[in-house]
Amino acid sequence: MNQAINVEQLNSALTSLRTVRSSVSLVFETLSNGLRADHGEDGKDKFLMELQELLNIVSNNLRDLEQTVNGLPIPVPFNLGNTTYLSQETTQDRQALYTQLVNSYKWTDKIHEYSSYAHTLLSQNSLKRSYINSGSTKRRGKLQSNHNVAPLQVDNVINNIDRSYNDMKITISRPFASNAVVSINLSHVLKAVVAFKGLLMEWVMVKGYGETLDLWTESRHHVFKKVTENAHAAMLHFYSPTLPELAVRSFMTWLHSYVNLFSDPCKRCGCHLHHTSLLPPAWRDFRTLEPFHDECKQ
Amino acid sequence: MGTTKTVHILHNSEQPASVFSILESGTKNIHVIADGLFDLLMMKLSQHYTSKKQTKIESKGPRFELGDFCVKLGSVTMNQNFKGILIEVEYRPCVMANAVWGLLREFLQGLLGPTVPVQPPQHLMSRMNEIYTPIDTIYQYLEHFSAYRKVTGMRNN
Amino acid sequence: MSAANLAPITATDSLSQALKANIIPNQEYLLQGSVLDSAVEVLLHRLRGLCDNVDAGTETFDDQEVCFSLRDPNQQAAPLMLRVRKALDARDMPFQLRYIGQPDLGDKSRPTVVRSSLDIACSGMLIEFLNELGCRIEFEYSVKGYMFRKGRMKITVSKVFKISQSSMSPEPISQSYLVELSVLAPQGQDAIGEDMRAFADQLRPLVQLDKIDYKRLGHMSVT
Repeated sequence: MNQAINVEQLNSALTSLRTVRSSVSLVFETLSNGLRADHGEDGKDKFLMELQELLNIVSNNLRDLEQTVNGLPIPVPFNLGNTTYLSQETTQDRQALYTQLVNSYKWTDKIHEYSSYAHTLLSQNSLKRSYINSGSTKRRGKLQSNHNVAPLQVDNVINNIDRSYNDMKITISRPFASNAVVSINLSHVLKAVVAFKGLLMEWVMVKGYGETLDLWTESRHHVFKKVTENAHAAMLHFYSPTLPELAVRSFMTWLHSYVNLFSDPCKRCGCHLHHTSLLPPAWRDFRTLEPFHDECKQ
Repeated sequence: MGTTKTVHILHNSEQPASVFSILESGTKNIHVIADGLFDLLMMKLSQHYTSKKQTKIESKGPRFELGDFCVKLGSVTMNQNFKGILIEVEYRPCVMANAVWGLLREFLQGLLGPTVPVQPPQHLMSRMNEIYTPIDTIYQYLEHFSAYRKVTGMRNN
Repeated sequence: MSAANLAPITATDSLSQALKANIIPNQEYLLQGSVLDSAVEVLLHRLRGLCDNVDAGTETFDDQEVCFSLRDPNQQAAPLMLRVRKALDARDMPFQLRYIGQPDLGDKSRPTVVRSSLDIACSGMLIEFLNELGCRIEFEYSVKGYMFRKGRMKITVSKVFKISQSSMSPEPISQSYLVELSVLAPQGQDAIGEDMRAFADQLRPLVQLDKIDYKRLGHMSVT
C-alpha cells in the first residue's frame, strides 16, 4: 500500500520536473529567437515583458517541483547489488556490460510483447489438441503426463529413432523453452521440421533439400506443400496420447518412406506424374508405405 | 602458352546477378561463378590475350511454369543467325539427377511425343548422384552451344 | 500455365546500362595508417564509440590473401594485379576477387588516394581458373583484425602475418596494426573524400591516417 502511494508521488514529481524543463527551454528558445516581427513598434519592451512572464512561469513551476519533492519520503537506498559499484569502475575492459544490458532489455521487451500477443490469440482460439484448454479435468490429468515429459526422455526417444536410419538425420533443438523442435534431413530429398509438446507432435512442415527450414513458411514447391498436407494427416492419424512413443516412431517410419518420393512411380497408375496435377506420388499408405498419387489412393 | 585455352562466359536469366565462366583447357573444364562485375574484369583481361573472333550465341524465348516444372523454349541465334530451338525443362524440387530422371523422362516424352528417345545429357552422366547446382545447367547449355557452333546451317535437337 | 512473355533484358544490356548510368562502384578512396600493438586497444575503443556496426560486439575477420600478377605478353603494359581473398573463419563464404589499379595521389588538395578497383564475389575453382589463365602467384599473407562501418565508410584495423609453414602459429610481420579507411564508390563522387578526411580527423590523436605513396616508401628504403 505504502509502495503504491510512493509511485504516485514519484510520478507527479517527475511530471513537475518535466514542466520545469520545458518552461526553461521555452525561455531559451524565446531568447535565442530575439525580437520578432509581431512585437511591433516598441518591440524591445514587449520582448522584455514576455521574457519576464516566462521567467515567472519558470519560478512558479520550480516552486511546485520543490513542494512535491519535499513531499516525497526519503528513499531507503535501493539494493542494487554489485551494480552500485558500476559508477566507480573506470577500466573500460572490465565493464563489458553495455551490450549485455541492451540485449537483456531487448529480450524482456520482446517477451512482454509476444506474451501479450500469445495471450490474446490463445484466449480467442479454443485449441482442441493443446494442453492449454483441455477442458475436462479428467482428461487433463491423463494427458498431462505426455505433454509434460522430461526433455531427457524426449531426447532418448528421438535419438533412438535417429540411430535406426542411415539416410535420415534427426537433430533436436529447443528454441522455445523445454519443448523440442526436431529437424529431419531425409537423404537429399526433403527436410522437415516437427514441433513437439512433450512427446506429442504438434506441427509439421516439409520443405525441399535446398530450402531453409523454419516452422511457419511453406515450401515454394507444390510437391512439398502437398507432402506437408499429407504429413499433417499422418500426424493426426498416428496421434495416440496413451502411447506417444509409438506414435512418434510410426510417424517417422512413415516419413522415411518419402526417400523415394521422386524415383518411385504410383502403385496404381504406374506413372511418375499425375496427368492433371503434374505431381509425383506424394501420398504414402499408412500401413504398406506404398506410394500413391493423392488422386489414386482411393 | 602452348595449348590454346578457351574461356566461355555465360549468363542465365534464372540467376540474373551471376556470371558463369568456364575455361576449357585440354580435357579439363574449370568453372567460376561470380557476380556481375566479373564481366568488367574480363574486359580488362582481354587486352592481355590474343582473342579469336568472339562469337556470341544466345538462346532466347518464352518461359513457362507448370506446377513445379519450368520449361523454357529458346530460339538459338549465333551472331544474329538462327540456328535452332533449345528446350530446357527443369524440375525444381529435386536436387539429385539420379532420383528424378524417370520423372523427367516421363514429362519430356509427354511434351515431345513418346517416340523421342531421351538420354541424360553428357555432362550429367558422371554426376547423376551429385547435388545439382546452377552451374550444371550452364554446362549443359555450353554443350549444346558448342555443338551448334560446329554445325553450319540448321540442326534439329 | 503461365508465361512471362516480356523480352528479357540480356546481361550485356544491363551491364552497359549500368556503365552508362555510372552506378558501378569501381573507385576506391583510401587512407592508411598504423598503430603500435600497445595502442590498438584505445583506438578500438574509440572506433566502437564512433561506428555503426557495434551493437553485437566488434566484427572480426581472418582472411588469407593471395596476390596474382598477369604479365602482358607484349611487355607493353604494366602487369595486372589480382588479389584473391578467402575468409579462414567462414569457410563457406565465396572468394573475394579484387582488381586494384595504380593509386592516384593527386595534389595536396585531394583528400584521399583514389585507385580503380573491382570487387567481385566468386565461387568455384577460382585459383585453378586464374592459374590456367596464366596468372602467377606473387606473394601471399594472412590478415586478421577488426572491421568497422560508418555510413559508407569501412574501417579495418588488422595485423598482417606471414603464411606459416606446417602447423606453427603464424608470425606477425611487424609490431603494429594496419589501419585502413576506405570507400568504394562510382566514378566522380569526390565529395566522399572530404567525409573521410573529417572522419580521419576524429581519430587523429590516436592514429594518423594519410595518403601513403608506396613508390616513395620503396625509394626511401633504398637510399
